[in-house]
Amino acid sequence: MIKSILVVDDSPIARKMLIKSLSEHGSYEITEARDGQEGVEKFSTVSPDVTFLDLTMPVLDGYDALIKIKEIDAKAIVIVVTADIQAKSIETVMGSGAFSVIKKPASPEAISGILTKSESKIKKSQG
Amino acid sequence: MDADKNEIFTEDQKDILQEIMNIAFGNATADLSEIIDIYVILSVPDIKTISAENLDSYINNLIDLKKNTKIIEQKFFGEYNGSGLLVFPDINDDEISTILDHSDDINSNDSSEQVPVNEILIEIGNILIGACIGKITSLLNTYVTYSPPDIFPSDTSNKVCLSYHTDKDKTGLVMKTTFTFNEKNIEGFLLLLTNDESFDWLKKALGKFMESYL
Repeated sequence: MIKSILVVDDSPIARKMLIKSLSEHGSYEITEARDGQEGVEKFSTVSPDVTFLDLTMPVLDGYDALIKIKEIDAKAIVIVVTADIQAKSIETVMGSGAFSVIKKPASPEAISGILTKSESKIKKSQG
Repeated sequence: MDADKNEIFTEDQKDILQEIMNIAFGNATADLSEIIDIYVILSVPDIKTISAENLDSYINNLIDLKKNTKIIEQKFFGEYNGSGLLVFPDINDDEISTILDHSDDINSNDSSEQVPVNEILIEIGNILIGACIGKITSLLNTYVTYSPPDIFPSDTSNKVCLSYHTDKDKTGLVMKTTFTFNEKNIEGFLLLLTNDESFDWLKKALGKFMESYL
C-alpha cells in the first residue's frame, strides 16, 4: 500500500499537475521538492514509498538525483516523469535503477497505471 | 539584460510557459535523436518578456555573433505568432558535418562545400523548431503555418535584426532553452519569440491549459 509520495520537479505547475492526478487516484502524504538536491534531502528524511522525479532541473538534475537516491535505498521506487523522452535518456535512467519513465504531461491514466504497478511491487517485496 | 519591469505575464503563466517549453523541446529533441541518432542534453528553459526596444540588444548580447555563428530562423503564423531561432554561437563545419556523416562533402575541394553544411543546419532547425512549435500548438490547442527555415549568412558582421518587432512600443516574449549535442562538442540554444499580437490569445490558451490539468 502506498502511503507517502515524493514529487521532485523544479516547475511548480508540473508539481501541481502531478499532485492533482495523484489525488484522483488515492489519498497520499505528498512531499514536494524543487530540485534534485532538495529531492535527495527530502528522500532521506521522508523515505517515501514512491518518488516521482523530473530530469531537467537546476542545482542537481534528475539523473544525478536518481543515482544518489538509489545509493540511499537501492530498492527505492523512482518513477521518472520527463519531457526528455530520447531513447538514450530513458536507457540511462532505467540503467540507474528507475522503476519506470512517464512522458510529460503525464495523463491521469498513466499515473494510475504506474501507481498500480508500484503497489504490486511493494506487495511483492513485503512478501 | 534583465527582463522588463512591467511584466505582462503573471508568475503562474510564466511557470506554465516554462513547463510547456520544457515539454515541447523535450519532444523535439526526441524527434531529432530518432532521425540523426544524436543525444541532446537539455537545460531548464528561461522565460522573459522584453520590450521591442530592448529585444535586439538582448538577443545580440546573448548570441555574441562570431564569424562561425550559425542562426537558423523559422517564423510561424496564426493565433500563436512569432519566430523560432536556433543558434549555434560557435561552431565549425566539421563538427556539423559529423552529425549526418557528411564528411565527404566537407572534405572535398569543391567551392560549394558550405552548401551541405547549411542544409544540415536548416534541416536541424526545421526539425527542432517545427517539432517544438508543433508540440506547443498541440498543448495549447491551436494551429500555425510556417515560413521556410532560413539561415543567417555565416560571415555576417551585422547584428541580428528581426523584422517583426520594429515598433518600439511592442513587447516580445522570449523563451530560451540551451542544449548540448552530446559527444559532438556542439552547444546552442533555441529562442522562441512570440509577438505581442499573440499575448491575449496566449493568456487565454494558458488559462484553458491550466483548467484541463489542474
